[in-house]
Amino acid sequence: MASETFAQLVGLSTGVLLLSGVLLVWRRSLHAQVALLATQGVALAVLVLVLGLHESDAELLAVAALVLVLKAVVLPLILVRTVARLGVGVREETPVINTTASLIALSMLTMLAYLVSRPLLTLGDGPTTTAVPVGIALVLYGMLLLATRRHAVSQLLGFLVLDNGIATVAFLIAGGVPLVVELGVSLDVLLVVLILQVLTSRIRTEFGEADLDDLSELRD
Amino acid sequence: MSAGAAVVTVGQAAVLVALSPLLVGVMRQVRARLEGRAGAGVLQPWRDLRKLLGKEPLTADGVSWISVAGPLVLVASSLLLCALTPVLGTATLDRVPNDLFVVVAALLIGTVALALVGLDAGTAFGGMGSSRHMTIAALVEPTVLVSVYALSIPVGSSVLSQIVEARLDHPATIWSPVSLLALLGLAIAIVAETARLPIDNPSTHLEVTMVHEAMVLESSGRDLAWLELGSWLRLGALLGLLATLLAPWGVATEVTALGLAVAVGALALKLALIGSLLATVEVFLAKVRLFRVPELLAGSFVLAFLAVTASYLVAS
Amino acid sequence: MTGVELGMTAQVVLAAAAVAAAVLVPPRLRNVVAGTFAAAVGASGVVTGAAALTDHSGSLELSTALPLTGVALDPTPLGGFVMLVAGAVGAVAAVFAIGYAHGPAASRTSWVALPAFLVSMQLVPAAADAVSFLLMWELMALASTVLVLTEHRDREEVRSAALWYAAMTHLSFGLLLLGFTVLAAEGGGTGFDAMSAVDPKSLQASIAFVLLIAGFATKAGAVPFHVWLPRAHPAAPSHVSAVMSAAMVKMGVYGALLVAFRLLPDGPAWWGFVVVALGAVSATYGILQASVTSDLKRLLAYSTTENIGLMFLALGTAMLLRSHDVSAPADAALVACLLLLTSHAAFKTALFLGAGAVLHATGERDLDRMGGLAARMPVTHVAFALGALGAAALPLSVGFVAEWTLLQSLIHGARPDDRLVAAMMPISVAVVALTAGLALLTFVKAYGIAFLARPRSSGAAGAREATPGMRAAMLVAAVAVIGLGLVPGPLADLAGRAAGVADPGSGAAVDLPGIAGGVLDPVAVTVVAALLAAPVGVVTLAAARRRRRRRVDLAWGCGGARISPRMQYTATSYAEPLARVFDDAVRPERDVVVTHYSESRYLVERVQFRQRLDEVVETRLYQPVLRAGDRVGAAARRLQNGSIHRYLGYSFVALVAVLVVVAL
Repeated sequence: MASETFAQLVGLSTGVLLLSGVLLVWRRSLHAQVALLATQGVALAVLVLVLGLHESDAELLAVAALVLVLKAVVLPLILVRTVARLGVGVREETPVINTTASLIALSMLTMLAYLVSRPLLTLGDGPTTTAVPVGIALVLYGMLLLATRRHAVSQLLGFLVLDNGIATVAFLIAGGVPLVVELGVSLDVLLVVLILQVLTSRIRTEFGEADLDDLSELRD
Repeated sequence: MSAGAAVVTVGQAAVLVALSPLLVGVMRQVRARLEGRAGAGVLQPWRDLRKLLGKEPLTADGVSWISVAGPLVLVASSLLLCALTPVLGTATLDRVPNDLFVVVAALLIGTVALALVGLDAGTAFGGMGSSRHMTIAALVEPTVLVSVYALSIPVGSSVLSQIVEARLDHPATIWSPVSLLALLGLAIAIVAETARLPIDNPSTHLEVTMVHEAMVLESSGRDLAWLELGSWLRLGALLGLLATLLAPWGVATEVTALGLAVAVGALALKLALIGSLLATVEVFLAKVRLFRVPELLAGSFVLAFLAVTASYLVAS
Repeated sequence: MTGVELGMTAQVVLAAAAVAAAVLVPPRLRNVVAGTFAAAVGASGVVTGAAALTDHSGSLELSTALPLTGVALDPTPLGGFVMLVAGAVGAVAAVFAIGYAHGPAASRTSWVALPAFLVSMQLVPAAADAVSFLLMWELMALASTVLVLTEHRDREEVRSAALWYAAMTHLSFGLLLLGFTVLAAEGGGTGFDAMSAVDPKSLQASIAFVLLIAGFATKAGAVPFHVWLPRAHPAAPSHVSAVMSAAMVKMGVYGALLVAFRLLPDGPAWWGFVVVALGAVSATYGILQASVTSDLKRLLAYSTTENIGLMFLALGTAMLLRSHDVSAPADAALVACLLLLTSHAAFKTALFLGAGAVLHATGERDLDRMGGLAARMPVTHVAFALGALGAAALPLSVGFVAEWTLLQSLIHGARPDDRLVAAMMPISVAVVALTAGLALLTFVKAYGIAFLARPRSSGAAGAREATPGMRAAMLVAAVAVIGLGLVPGPLADLAGRAAGVADPGSGAAVDLPGIAGGVLDPVAVTVVAALLAAPVGVVTLAAARRRRRRRVDLAWGCGGARISPRMQYTATSYAEPLARVFDDAVRPERDVVVTHYSESRYLVERVQFRQRLDEVVETRLYQPVLRAGDRVGAAARRLQNGSIHRYLGYSFVALVAVLVVVAL
């Protein structure tokens, strides 16, 4: 692959990753958020695919397929089912901080990601290293979602964004992760999501809602 | 150079005066057709304008000179805005470069004139529209400046003509993430600035939901004609700018008769396309609550800000 | 004797004459005579400043003034520039005061304090060593405190405002004293030249920098030291508010410039960040508070905080960019700082004097009770409108030129190697843009609500135009706003000379050296706009000939009859959407009481709406500190119970304690 096309493709896929992260914070409808998560999964898979093709690494291609299946299909499907069970038009009604403030926070977090990745950027000069801040930004977005959303499914979304961010950084810096490691991590994530999904439906049957603030009544 | 630049400057104003009412006509017609109505035809805004200019203006007792001068200031500032927007050619007058901040300032003069006309009437609706209008204008400003800032970084200049020229020279930059994010942010800001859906409904008849219409409630005759023309010109210039940034082809870098003719044709085509697109999207949109508007504007600000960040990433 | 020396001597002599006139002249003539002398003090400041700017030579030593060391006055070009601006503001305000001062403001004390205030303020930027600087600074603080106190007999809140002002201004003095002491100890002398020998990278330099910047920021009214501004400005007579806001707070900016570029140039990079952050927070917070308040003078006071913030932002940007060798945008930022200073002086004078004229005519400071003043006070209206144009930084005004220069420097300073600096630039652009947007809303509100539509109170309905002297003073300030905005070239050149920057003006236009496309020629832009608008004028005239305008009684009220002026939007309602958007920052406390008729709960008898805006900084920062101080004070009172035996006992215990310490 020509290096210019490679750079453009890396830029494009990381751009989509970042944009879907922003929109995940912006939108409050859970359906839309799950769709965005699937988009993000596709973009991540494309990124890995591009890296694999560039380095002609068969193992990376396999990882790309794995990422595609898991992050773009399986996990979103699980979430879609959970959301569907919650009813039509479910939204994150009352985030801890309002959307406007989270969006402003988002721009500052992005700048922060860009600033803290300075030392990493000295490692190399290629398009992959310059895109590292995007991964870090995604990690921060995920944390923001986890910290400010009340709905159980939103929390799950935040966790998955966080995981996508970590995966992005790993792929971009290490130029890929061994298949075995990726397989293990993926299974872990799948397991966490399944457990949380069961937990969500349990919370719902207990409290009639999936608002995590209700859990604070469980103390003592 | 200078004569050519003068031709381009005046030409841009003249062509946009001719095209903007048509643009509004096209948008209304597309919307009408999509909603299953026959529509009044593309030329209706021009007919409205002619009718209003021939009518007697009425002013309520106790209003000041602002009600008379405001519409004229709005239309003059809109004309300046049109003249400084590089939609036909990139030549600029030596002493009047179409610097981003001067262009934005021309826009803001019109905004303020409109808001004062609204206040001057001394009615509840006028004040309400004016207050909302200024609130939105205040919140839009950061997005506009930051998004064009992002576009200016690769060029190293805030002169719009140079930005357009650079895009003509390197078409690949148009599709870069920086450019797309910045344009998306700018598009939302333009929609807010020109009072289109989902920020404001230009065809509403319910006073309490109005923003733009509430301010012009008290104006009539030629005052109203100038207010309408001024607002249309702003829409034409801003959409023209967006279209030019998105597809700079056709803009004349050298001033020749043929080049300008092509540029006029290209501009008409671009405006028709972007207008129809906007009208189509509007059919599917409802006006958002006033207090959700800041969310939308904060979102557009984030996009513009990401564009700046991304431009550093790409560059380093 | 050079021009500068002559000018400075003249200032002192004229001030003495003004004081003498205020004391000796009978009350009937006091306003005219003392006011003329005070205006002459200001005018001599202008001349001296101009002389110091054009050829810097001449100094004044008053060796008898202080027992230890003499007062050394030796204005640099920068000092001359600031003196020029301050003198111009002082002269205009003094002329205004001739017609405006009445009651306590026309008293002997007031007229003595005003020239003292003006002369000390004009000599602050001339000081050549720390001692003279602090002496003038303290004189300025004392005289202005007396002036703030003017109406203390008539209005309760004046006393509390003066107390706040005195406390904050002495906090500023204390911080400066400490800062200069550190520098003097390091540099081995109180002269500014000796101090500039201190190594800026040393720890002592950083300590001094923080102390000095905090002291100057207090005087300038930057957040979080701004609390005195919104109190003192409404309390003081309007001509005093004008001088304080348009000139005195600039001494804080001058001080910051002095520290950053003369005493401690090339300091560590974080200094620049501190100043930029201070500026950004002040600008945003100031304009946000201004946009939601409806007291006209309080609004103007908060707008001062905003403008000071922008000046600090420009100054910090210049420091940052200079430390990264991005010289052309750094120079532009420095010029922008001085342009902002001048433009704020011009438009704030016009606005405060306009507000004074309105207060004089209507007895109202509350925008919610004004309206329709355009027809009743045409000249004041024009002056205020032009001032508002400047404050909103719209074209044709000098405010626009200043803000344009600042934005140019920010946009072209985008690419230093340091990423932290690179990250600051877009944030600064966003802050400036948001500030500009909110300033637009604020001044559309202030002008539109006060002067347009119909009067909302009987005071506003019966307003009369100001006296000729007041009108002349307001118009001079307003013409300065427009004149400098149309032909900013010479002003930019002066600012460039003061800042030591190669000429940023070319003819009538601003042409920033080293910045591509950095040309701003307002006259050319105006001519183009006028030519373009000419056909519109022709069409309008043709239409006007065929169809005349008709006056009707009725404005649209949903088909209802003639609507009452109470149905108009007020300043509070105008800013309501904004207060809602920035709910978390301004924290409005709303109280709506709906009274129903006893017959039916569906019929409303009346609705009462009350809104209170608390200062977040004040409630969160100052009140806890003040409460803690009160507690300490209350505890200390227990030591005193009036018993003479106890006091003797204290002395005895103290004596024993000293002896024990000596013995050990």
